Amino acid sequence: MSHATKATEFNKDESKVNWHDKALWYVREKRDKSAHNVEGWEYLRQLGSEIKANVLSNLDEYLVQFESNAQKNGIHVHWASNAKEHNTIINSILEKHKAKKVVKSKSMLTEECHLNPFLEAKGIEVVDTDLGERIVQLAEEPPSHIVLPAIHKTKEDVDVLFQKHLGTKPSKGNPEYLVGEARKHLRDKFLNADVAITGVNFAVADTGGVVVCTNEGNADMGVHLAKAHIACMGIEKVIPKEKHLGVFLRLLARSATGQPITTYSSHFNKAEDGKEMHIVIVDNGRTEQLSREDFRASLHCIRCGACMNTCPIYRRSGGHSYDYTIPGPIGSILSPGKDLKKYSSLPFASTLCGSCSNVCPVKINIHEQLYKWRQIIVKEEKQPIVKTSILKTAGLVLSKPKLYKMAGKSARFALKYAPRFMIYNKLNAWGKARDLPEIKNENFDDWYKKRNKNG
Amino acid sequence: MKILMIGIKKETKMGREAILKSVKENKPELLPLPEIDTSAFQEDIDLVKTFKNNLVLVGGQIFEISTDGIDSKIMEHYPDKSSIVSTTTKSNLGNVIINKDTNPHTLEHIDLAIIEGELGVSENGAIWITASNSLVRALPFITNDLVIILEKRNICLHMLEAYDSISKRDRDFGVFISGPSKTADIEQCLVVGAHGAMSLTVLLV
Amino acid sequence: MTNSTVKVGLFIPCYVNQLYPQVGIATLELLEKLGVDVYYPKDQTCCGQPLGNSGYEQDSKGICNLFVENFKTYDYIVGPSGSCIYHVKHHFDILEQTPEVKRVRDNAFELCEFIVKVLGITDLGASFPYKVGLHKSCHGLRGLKLGSCSEVKSEHFSTEEDLLNNVKGLELITLNRKDECCGFGGTFSVFEEAISAKMGKDRVQDHLDSSVEVVTGADHSCLMHMEGIINRNKQPLKVMHIAEILNSSL
Repeated sequence: MSHATKATEFNKDESKVNWHDKALWYVREKRDKSAHNVEGWEYLRQLGSEIKANVLSNLDEYLVQFESNAQKNGIHVHWASNAKEHNTIINSILEKHKAKKVVKSKSMLTEECHLNPFLEAKGIEVVDTDLGERIVQLAEEPPSHIVLPAIHKTKEDVDVLFQKHLGTKPSKGNPEYLVGEARKHLRDKFLNADVAITGVNFAVADTGGVVVCTNEGNADMGVHLAKAHIACMGIEKVIPKEKHLGVFLRLLARSATGQPITTYSSHFNKAEDGKEMHIVIVDNGRTEQLSREDFRASLHCIRCGACMNTCPIYRRSGGHSYDYTIPGPIGSILSPGKDLKKYSSLPFASTLCGSCSNVCPVKINIHEQLYKWRQIIVKEEKQPIVKTSILKTAGLVLSKPKLYKMAGKSARFALKYAPRFMIYNKLNAWGKARDLPEIKNENFDDWYKKRNKNG
Repeated sequence: MKILMIGIKKETKMGREAILKSVKENKPELLPLPEIDTSAFQEDIDLVKTFKNNLVLVGGQIFEISTDGIDSKIMEHYPDKSSIVSTTTKSNLGNVIINKDTNPHTLEHIDLAIIEGELGVSENGAIWITASNSLVRALPFITNDLVIILEKRNICLHMLEAYDSISKRDRDFGVFISGPSKTADIEQCLVVGAHGAMSLTVLLV
Repeated sequence: MTNSTVKVGLFIPCYVNQLYPQVGIATLELLEKLGVDVYYPKDQTCCGQPLGNSGYEQDSKGICNLFVENFKTYDYIVGPSGSCIYHVKHHFDILEQTPEVKRVRDNAFELCEFIVKVLGITDLGASFPYKVGLHKSCHGLRGLKLGSCSEVKSEHFSTEEDLLNNVKGLELITLNRKDECCGFGGTFSVFEEAISAKMGKDRVQDHLDSSVEVVTGADHSCLMHMEGIINRNKQPLKVMHIAEILNSSL
């Protein structure tokens, strides 16, 4: 189903659209306030962009350096070409530890690889411990936002969900009560988990360590209580030096939620004595995106979600309308690289307003990439016949002045004199919610000709 | 530049060699790593005052006191705590003794942990804690409430300065802690106290 | 600028020509009032943007070449549309970069930008005693950098505001969301109709909530979209292109 179809469905409930839009706009405003309070903010963005560009141009060396330094600290490093390999590697680590209970902090990569269903089919319990992720896990839905996974759910929705799965008392959606109950529920999971899986915000090449950022402390509660830690990362997460965290950690939380930094920025360099640490480095289409000169910069992404918060289309259609692990503007330039046909509607789910590119902490030129994907999609994927014929005809008519003048005149004649029922009907999408412009008697050309005649 | 979406011959080799080979083949021409000009971030501000304001903004509470006032301040704000761990000589309130080999699961019921922080960052109220400060890595997260003692003179301006200071250290485990744990995942309502500590009190000495 | 050897080619966007000739007329009259030597190439058609934005860039080469052909002899090309000028400056990179193509791309200007930056004028002696809401069209704002935008940390500036602030009696109203997109987006308005209409409705509501009487902007495509909604819903707002306001005096 295309984004447009899903978005139309979402828009049937206007009050929900307004609620969703306002919630995310509020996060955007918090981001503005926080970012604009930083001396040198735009320079930080520039640095973030240049560091990431350097990383991509030297990626193999940084990955090898990272692996070597990690191994020096006793970390086991694994490489997975695709989702299947990633899932298989993780399963084999779990088997080695006879692990049946797993806690997982936020990792869009594991979501991308569909790790949970893979492990669950093998009888392993996987509990997502980020509260938003736990909510959507219990609701059996995918997350709708990469930082705020349950943004589409009201507190009343969560109340009902927790009554069913956690046995809470009805509380009319009292957030303090519900969070308190979730804390108890997940604390029990942390204490009984065999292995903890986390994502990776940044992998530091010159130290071999990884950094995980959370507000809830769920990554740390998982890792420090379990026997083993598995950290999953895309190849593009590596950064050259630890000091570069001084740039990225200043950009990340402010862009994501407007906080100056997440509550916890945990630097894992070495496993505790008696415990194991594993890192799984994953490709899964990233080297393919690296090959695309026009789209390579999408790999700079630090998964802050700022583009989603600012996107007027995302705010009014919701993350599920994109039907991809990562929705919104960044998702719309990453997904066509994975499956052009399936995601061909996403680059068109935009007015190319450019707001996303302006909030992106690593200055990805998202709006320009959306434009470029459109050219490829039109070339490679069959377009609706109406669209192609109208636009190709326009291409012809507009390149020939005489044809254009004729067409302009007849179109205006038709619009001016045709009966209303002919113009405003199901075929006229414009006319569903808007009136067409009023047609004047002459166009500019006519007026100009007349004026010249009159001197 | 060819963009091939469908029908590309899939590489039959997988894993490390295949990934590195693919990266080498597809990476662009080397682009330079930028030099960071920290003068762009220079601000003439009161570091301690800014740190205090930001710590409160992120949900913590903070008191400037002298080292001999530490225990009385803690007892004033946490009068009902029964299981207390102190990993610092600056406080004598600890009644549960731990060492670096203590099983973290046994700390499940710790009410209060008192630890020292190495460094504070004024721009975000964050404090750098390492495994040697907490002895047991899980401690600052598993405790119900957390007190961090920090020397005022160890507060720097921003994260770039912080990384400069901590660059020469053993790399094991370290964490920047900025306030108590929190979440806004339920309809964007901020709730302080998620899975980590429910509160954070910083004593600036 | 009264240098009589400087020639300006007037570019009238295709939909302005056909549907909103009054905007073209106001633009021409305004430029002439300012002493500019304006020419109107009669064979001009379109800048190619509707095709480019829909993914049919390659099919628009004929249009783009015609544009260059029509405007290559002028020192400046001025048009009352930020998005069209943005398209010429940024997306004519699909053409072979001959000296003519480069000249046209380098010297294309949106109307307000031309008046303020090239002519150096901000007071046009206009008069328009109404509460005006300025819609900062995205391509002009973020693309051509006609003003500072809310996302970026920078000093505030706005080419359109510089001009409107000098119009006698005009009260420029502050909106709740200063530069959110109106939702037109070209063919987006038809292929993602639900969202496009909702975005337009919300923009219009912002003007209404802020007690605006007249909505203006530098891009009539945005205004056409909002006007369509206003007329359908019979809302108490008037829509006028900035050229019409700047060209008015009572």
